[in-house]
Amino acid sequence: MPTLKIPTPLRPYAGGQASIDVTGGRVADALADLTARHPDLSRHIFNDAGELRPFVNLFVNDEDVRYLDGVDTPVAETDLLRIIPSIAGGTGRVDHSALRTNQAFIIILNILAFVLAQPALALAVTLVMLAGAVFRTPGFGFVYRLLLKPLGLVKPDVIEDNPEPHRFAQGFGAVVMAGGTIALYAGLGSLGWGLVWLVTALAALNLFAGFCVGCAVYYWLHRLNVPGFAKEPPTGSFPGMRPK
Amino acid sequence: MTIQIDPPAAAAIRAHLEAAYPEEGAGFLLGEVDGDDVRRVRDVLPIANARENGARRTRYLITPHDTVRADYEAEARGLEILGVFHSHPDVPNEPSAFDREWALPWYSYTITRVDGGKAVSMRSWRLTDDRERFIEEELISEN
Repeated sequence: MPTLKIPTPLRPYAGGQASIDVTGGRVADALADLTARHPDLSRHIFNDAGELRPFVNLFVNDEDVRYLDGVDTPVAETDLLRIIPSIAGGTGRVDHSALRTNQAFIIILNILAFVLAQPALALAVTLVMLAGAVFRTPGFGFVYRLLLKPLGLVKPDVIEDNPEPHRFAQGFGAVVMAGGTIALYAGLGSLGWGLVWLVTALAALNLFAGFCVGCAVYYWLHRLNVPGFAKEPPTGSFPGMRPK
Repeated sequence: MTIQIDPPAAAAIRAHLEAAYPEEGAGFLLGEVDGDDVRRVRDVLPIANARENGARRTRYLITPHDTVRADYEAEARGLEILGVFHSHPDVPNEPSAFDREWALPWYSYTITRVDGGKAVSMRSWRLTDDRERFIEEELISEN
């Protein structure tokens, strides 16, 4: 029978055993046999939808089954099947004060750019937003970090939220701003200012109403299983709305 | 539930996490289980955060390769892996929903708050059997 090796933290749920002989022709069958015999193990290996938990890695004779046939990988009688956890965690928190500072600067500078008819100012906003997208931080967040927060002018507002949708939203905004700026320099005034105002309006919706359109788009793409859009909206929050 | 961290081990945890700031740092807690649910951390094994550049400010990742290596290392030192330590830079050191989603049972999860590059507080937690929540354990560490 193939042998399945259990990692230390899961052993208390497998009668304290370090390895167990299992039946089954595929990895999935071996896991089914294991969890049938030790039902308490099941919730630590599978989530409520019956999928493998993210930290569970399965190796057949030192080969990660991800690079074989996944849970359909065959296991022979003499094979050694191992569950090896990867370990992850983190704050998963976002300082919304940094986001709001960013939005406020985008709004003010864009309005100034329009009022003063200065495409260069729109260009500057575009560059800061693009830099923020590249460095994965709110573009004007540095004003908050280096000035407003240390001086106590703006208090941190750290809440449990995913940073990824906000990065996507800023990247999306940066691309629209870039389009607007190019249009302005190409002499297409109404198109250019139209795009600048679109970004300004979306930033204002976020700043004053707490609704992030880019984040909502991110979560829709997540629902459609688009690769790279892995995060679910925080529990109990409407996709795109600022979590409570 | 108690976790006692030897002062040199606690110092090593703080040093690793302060050096990782503003990114998150992590590593393994090595030690002994001492009778009734008392854990004693004798040594630590700092691990390089395997998350991609940019994500390391809010996330840490220890690969299966590092887990296996830590297993061997613990065995060589005659200790066992008691859990994992990591940092929350500039935010409270309570476990997040993401921490819980990824947590293994039985392990101690010691979280250090690092403010502006300085480790300011350390707390430790264990996941409940039903995975519904973390319970804080008593942390003892004399400086």
